[in-house]
Amino acid sequence: MSLSRRDFLKATAAAAAFAAAGAATVNPLRPDDAEAAEGGITWGKAPCRFCGTGCGVLVGVKNGRVVATKGDPQAPVNKGLNCIKGYFLSKILYGKDRLTKPLIRKGGKMVEASWDEAMTLIASKYQESIAKHGPDSVAIYGSGQWTIFEGYAALKLFKGGIGTNNIEPNARLCMASAVTGFMTTFASDEPMGCYDDLDLGDTYFLWGANMAEAHPVLFSRMIDNRLRNPRVKIIDFGTRRTRTSQMADQYIRFNPQTDLALMNALAHVIVRDKLYDEKFLKDHVVFKKGKEKIGYGLEDKFKFADEPKLISFDDYQAFLKPYTPEYVAGLSGVPAAKIVELAHLYADKSRKVNSLWTMGFNQHTRGTWANNLAYNLHLLTGKICRPGENPMSLTGQPSACGTAREVGTFTHRLPADMVVANPEHRAKTARIWGIDPAKIPAKPTYNAVEMFRALDRGDIKVVWIQVTNPFQSLPNLNRYRKGARKGDGRFVIVSDIYPTRSTELADVILPSAGWIEKEGAFGNAERRTQQWFKLVNPPGEARNDLWQTMELARRLGHGNLFPYKYPEKEIWEEYRKFGEGQGKDLAPYEAYTKARGLRWPVVNGKETRYRYAEEYDPYVKPGEGIRFYKNKADHNKAVIWARPYEPAPEVPDKKYPFWLCTGRVLEHWHTGTMTGRVPELKRAYPAAVCEMHPDDARRLGVKHLGKVRLTSRRGTIVLNLDLNGRGKAEKGNVFVAFFDENKMINELCIDAYCPISGEPDYKKCAVRVEKA
Amino acid sequence: MTPCREKSGITRRRFLKDGVLVPLALTAGGIGLSALFLRPADGSVFYLRPPGALEEGRFTAACVKCGKCAQACPYKAIKMTGGAAGVAIGTPRVIARETPCSLCPDIPCAKACPSGALDRRLDDVAKIRMGTAVIVDRENCLSLRGLRCEVCYRQCPLIDKAITIVPRHNERTGTHSIMEPVVHRDKCVGCGICENACVLEKPVIVVLKSPPFQKDAYDF
Repeated sequence: MSLSRRDFLKATAAAAAFAAAGAATVNPLRPDDAEAAEGGITWGKAPCRFCGTGCGVLVGVKNGRVVATKGDPQAPVNKGLNCIKGYFLSKILYGKDRLTKPLIRKGGKMVEASWDEAMTLIASKYQESIAKHGPDSVAIYGSGQWTIFEGYAALKLFKGGIGTNNIEPNARLCMASAVTGFMTTFASDEPMGCYDDLDLGDTYFLWGANMAEAHPVLFSRMIDNRLRNPRVKIIDFGTRRTRTSQMADQYIRFNPQTDLALMNALAHVIVRDKLYDEKFLKDHVVFKKGKEKIGYGLEDKFKFADEPKLISFDDYQAFLKPYTPEYVAGLSGVPAAKIVELAHLYADKSRKVNSLWTMGFNQHTRGTWANNLAYNLHLLTGKICRPGENPMSLTGQPSACGTAREVGTFTHRLPADMVVANPEHRAKTARIWGIDPAKIPAKPTYNAVEMFRALDRGDIKVVWIQVTNPFQSLPNLNRYRKGARKGDGRFVIVSDIYPTRSTELADVILPSAGWIEKEGAFGNAERRTQQWFKLVNPPGEARNDLWQTMELARRLGHGNLFPYKYPEKEIWEEYRKFGEGQGKDLAPYEAYTKARGLRWPVVNGKETRYRYAEEYDPYVKPGEGIRFYKNKADHNKAVIWARPYEPAPEVPDKKYPFWLCTGRVLEHWHTGTMTGRVPELKRAYPAAVCEMHPDDARRLGVKHLGKVRLTSRRGTIVLNLDLNGRGKAEKGNVFVAFFDENKMINELCIDAYCPISGEPDYKKCAVRVEKA
Repeated sequence: MTPCREKSGITRRRFLKDGVLVPLALTAGGIGLSALFLRPADGSVFYLRPPGALEEGRFTAACVKCGKCAQACPYKAIKMTGGAAGVAIGTPRVIARETPCSLCPDIPCAKACPSGALDRRLDDVAKIRMGTAVIVDRENCLSLRGLRCEVCYRQCPLIDKAITIVPRHNERTGTHSIMEPVVHRDKCVGCGICENACVLEKPVIVVLKSPPFQKDAYDF
């Protein structure tokens, strides 16, 4: 071993310096483990920076720099494994163009400035705008990559300090429909099941989820289950043949948007053939119907409020009547016999059935309905809340659950499933925050798309963007990119670790600390909260987003909201009060510093694998079996919703004859700002391409690798054609990944959204394709 | 005589002497140099030849080293060999790790070949045989270590044909599968895209000379 005493002392001292003032906690993996250090490397634990899977990693630090990472063998999610993005985690912080100094736009040029100068300017812009146009003229736009602490501080400052509900996360673009699905069906966000279901089930229906690429480690768990258990069947419903379809037992191709009809057809057969679980329905389910023809959020200031009505099982049956396999076969392209077969598979009493979905459902103008309809199938058959059989909405960001959803960094939300519209919720929040309840406005303002529409119109003047890249990731990009630079008092602040397509539109760019350059906590898709300590210092003058938000608070006179000596720990203990006794209980901070994550509710130090289920969930008493205790309004029952099929807002026509779908590739994550700086990943997948069916290409006279121009009503882009790549487009469909900052496909996407969730549809719009 | 000498600085005698000696020396030097560089091609060295290349011995004999194939390559993937190639100096090759063959559907390089060293009648990229991809370092391959990499597989232009994924149980974790990329030599065209895309510093999958098919009586 080449660990010199000097190196060891240096590393230890550096590590010790990372612990914030007053940090009484000791990471069991930090300097204590120095004896185990290899070549002067000390290892700390952290969740992976990328997707919502939440793989645990060990981060190797030497001389104040991350020199290695490896999958954490003790992490239950991944047991030492990673995907290829996770393998290169050590490189994501060290791109050559890291932002290290605040930059202020002066005469069209970005000029280096001191933190004091930048923060003074930002505070003055906020003050000026609030004074002139009121608190709803300022906003913050964050993300599901905010640490829990960062999200909490932003929420507290904007709702409790400034007094505006102008706070949104990019998670609105990613899983808002999953939230409204959970809330409308169970009255509580987030899944009842957990990843253990991937090991324990035997039937997996995937809906609009390319797990093989978007949730790589979870996919290998499900595939391994099939290797060990020959009964296991994987059925992939999709509009594009993916790597997931390739490994599935069956790939069921359907026409875009007809998933709604398909699920109703499955329910139709389950009800028609009396395959439902009558007792379960009687004990645990009510039926409801909401508004129909609910619009698409295409016009500015679109407003929608559902009017749910209780209906009977007979009403529900009548609702299902038209969704015969034959009718839906014509609509969806799935043969009627196949629909019947799959309905019987869903209901097979000898099978443990799971449904898994991601953006295909969530990024959908009827995303909430799609989520509801998937739950319907599980509620009808009673296949829910038991090990190995659950519906599971997978998430895309590392803390979409932990921060955006659980802290509630949405315009309408407060922590622990509470909402601003409810006076009791506001009162409870005000009590914990020590503020006047009147301070928190009762009316939600803008969802993410509407927030940027408001910026475009000039109703919002000042917006601070943290840990996300909206000017690449929003749909109908051209409008919102132009809107940001219209002047007339508009002021855009972007905090990031690298220059992005969003920083290029900023008036102030703030250099941030990334990932393990700060202390943090994320919550993954199975309710697992994972904490990490700061392991290295950020480069140059880069600073934690948490500090940035609290510094703005101080300068706006709201410093009293953040009286913390050790902000992360104290925020945690304060935040924890929201969920206590509400089925959202979290453990004391220390517990997370030691554990490889804990799945909430954590009651008496014990995590919960299955919610609403006796023996697992401490809120369900012996003898109760299953109790959806969060839905008190419906007597602790879940809701089966009568949600119809309605068409997409924009469908292919003569002028724009193709469907455009966007998505991910395994090698890159989101807008590629981190993975694009890892040379190995960049080489492995250098640029976005257009997938198309070979027959369509022949008709257009374009060959593989040739250039095509894609044009929608909103934008146009030239891409290389890929006819035999990893994804096989169906006839009449094209697919483009959205990571490439030089080929921003979102310029073409429509900014229509689900009226209930506010989540836009990136999976469907109409485009024209020509040889370029 | 003197003015003449002053004019040119060269005497007749001197001119004759140099006129013979310099070419002689150059010739001698050239022979020496060629002895140094123009060795017979080293059989152990494998050059990834452009699509449609004849068998190596016949290829080097047929190739007129005109560089037309390299000019025709839209990706500049074809480069001419240097002195280290021995008698094969100046012949075209692809260095997969730098720029692999993109397998253009119309195979412009082969069409440009005037000598027949590249088969210009080749019309189907699936019939190209430049070599065969082989995972040469199983211990370092991330996919074989259970990580979800498989970049070689997903980037393979003959995905699911030349490379397939064969999952097997990961004994160490007990709950994950190892996604093993398996190359099928009867389908692999040897384009080198996998070698190029491999994320490790030294690629663990590389294109090698295709081994000959060895026939026997078994038909499975």
